[in-house]
Amino acid sequence: MKDAISRRAHNPIADDGDELHFCSTCAFSAACLESGYGKSQLRELHVLVEHVGPFEEGEHLFREGNPFNAIAAVRAGTVKTYVTDTEGREQVQGFFLPGEVIGLNAISQARYPCNAVALDSVELCRFSFTNISALATRMPGLQLQLFRLLSLDIGKATLLAGNYSADERMAAFLVSLSRRYVRHGFPANRFRLSMSRTDIANYLRLASETVSRVFRRFQDEGLIRVERRDLELLDPPALQMLARNVLRK
Amino acid sequence: MDPIPPFDAELLRRYDRPGPRYTSYPTAPQFTADFDEALLRDYIGRSNADPIPRQLSLYLHIPYCFSPCFYCGCNRIITRDPSRGRTYVERLVREVAAMGGLFDRDRDVVQLHLGGGTPNFLRPPELRELMDSLRRHFCLNTAGERDFSMELDPRFIEAGDVAAYAEFGFNRASLGVQDFDVEVQRAVNRIQSVEQTLRVIDDCRDQGFRSINVDLIYGLPKQSAAGFSRTLDQVLAVRPDRLAVYGYAHLPAMFKAQGQIEAQDLPSAEAKLGLLQLAIEKLSAAGYQYIGMDHFALPEDDLARAQQAGNLQRNFMGYTNHADCDLVGLGVSAISHIGDSFSQNPRDLPGWQAALDQGRLPVWRGRRLAADDLLREDVIQQLMCLGTVHIAAIERRHDIDFQDYFQDDLQRLLPLVADGLVTVDAQRITATSRGRLLLRIIAMCFDRYLHQSSTDAIPPRFSRVI
Repeated sequence: MKDAISRRAHNPIADDGDELHFCSTCAFSAACLESGYGKSQLRELHVLVEHVGPFEEGEHLFREGNPFNAIAAVRAGTVKTYVTDTEGREQVQGFFLPGEVIGLNAISQARYPCNAVALDSVELCRFSFTNISALATRMPGLQLQLFRLLSLDIGKATLLAGNYSADERMAAFLVSLSRRYVRHGFPANRFRLSMSRTDIANYLRLASETVSRVFRRFQDEGLIRVERRDLELLDPPALQMLARNVLRK
Repeated sequence: MDPIPPFDAELLRRYDRPGPRYTSYPTAPQFTADFDEALLRDYIGRSNADPIPRQLSLYLHIPYCFSPCFYCGCNRIITRDPSRGRTYVERLVREVAAMGGLFDRDRDVVQLHLGGGTPNFLRPPELRELMDSLRRHFCLNTAGERDFSMELDPRFIEAGDVAAYAEFGFNRASLGVQDFDVEVQRAVNRIQSVEQTLRVIDDCRDQGFRSINVDLIYGLPKQSAAGFSRTLDQVLAVRPDRLAVYGYAHLPAMFKAQGQIEAQDLPSAEAKLGLLQLAIEKLSAAGYQYIGMDHFALPEDDLARAQQAGNLQRNFMGYTNHADCDLVGLGVSAISHIGDSFSQNPRDLPGWQAALDQGRLPVWRGRRLAADDLLREDVIQQLMCLGTVHIAAIERRHDIDFQDYFQDDLQRLLPLVADGLVTVDAQRITATSRGRLLLRIIAMCFDRYLHQSSTDAIPPRFSRVI
């Protein structure tokens, strides 16, 4: 019996918030609530959040050099950020999952230093950076959360800079996706890869044939199961073991 | 489902009605012309982007035949002019180059099939050119497990041809026989001796071909039990690895050549069933395993093994053990199945040529598959290949409640259950041994497009099931 995992095009989206409630993936809700601010209080402070989208697959959310005025959290879908070098080659900088914040690297320059493109149907929650920084001065929890996000963003870029093997990079990539999904309430061991293998290869600095070869070997070794874009982690401890040097805590 | 199912004449007669052969779902009549070249390119691009891209299976259609067999319903062109083969290959290699360039280089071609028409209408130099071009533009697997097959008309194989095919990488052959009875051969305009057929089979074995298939047809004009019985004995004596025993479908309104067949020469429905029964008994006694539809194989053949392992699949080439390949069809009328799409080349030679001459991919029509299509394709595949549907597995793969989703379909199954063709419980839908020769009748219950119209009438473009 062919025993494949679900092929359904699941596009994880959080419980939608409303006037009074935060979305369950909201990057700031915990910090705000800790400081005693519910969503209705934030409204009173004119910190307007705006739900935008859906952006279709391949649509750009912003391009390098666009003026920066808002940061955005992904509510649904996956976003890829990349730059194009002088030879016209694309360099993938990162992937952003529901609950993650994009645009943080634009803060210093008032312009976006990279392009952001939707890899599937993407919905965003956009809010003014000026307003949220002003709010952060009143809410230590929120300020801390902003710093945390910024440091995570910097950490992400250096993660793969070391001299790691293809297996280590791939395992780290999968474990990192799994951890990030679970952090926002999605299943830890079953998710859909919205990025192409070329994007994965580019991000991990591997050849795209290598990416597929390692995926196939991981599958043969019983670590994962792959059905088209759907992925299941069958042996998370083994993957974490492989990833341990890259993902040192 | 190992042994050959028992034969039940009364039942077969009752269910002898037109129906699709389910080499695809949705079937080709559901393809539409809004599927264009840009969409095909898009689907190919997506297929390259999967974490583990699928391997490839190539089908190349060679439409030419030297002479018309009157029973034939294939897309073919009759000519004695071998230069037409050369001009065809000139264009075909252009299509090979254009399509090959769209697939990533690490996408192994594990299956290759030349069908027709008569692939051996092409002489070895043309075949070499074709294979060289395939090797240049695709990554052809060289391992022993590869399946590179060719349909052969033994009447036109010359000394040294089979050795050339082996050199080009072919390791399987499928031979048309139909019936050795000379009376029948005259009536269908295909005179082919036992000796020339066996010589080709010997050549293939000498060249180390892994598997040989022989096609037979029952229901042909002038066919008799005695003659067909002799044919079966002659064929079984050389133990082909696979046998296909097709029922002849007389549709002269659709296939012009069939008009040459005198209706009065055709066996009665009774006699036709008798021929099928004869074939089933003889194949059974000779140790063949039933694969499904019209196909039988020796238990050690790859198809029989794949069926036991549960990874048998059905596509335009019939049954295959190459589960989960993207199928690339090249040549006039050829069909591709890439990712969640079907697409088909023009069925007419001028249309196909014109596209290539203008530098376009020759896409005539196709279909993007929706979630419902994929779900039903899965169910029908399971039925046609394994004779059983594992309900929980379907529910998990497609995230549905089977009983709820398939209410109407399950309703349609009830008369078949009453007739003992199929059993239904909470876990499985299974063809009984009585029902296994009628798999497509069972599959038809799950075909949404057959049941869309208000009437239950099935368009006559499909052949009868027996």
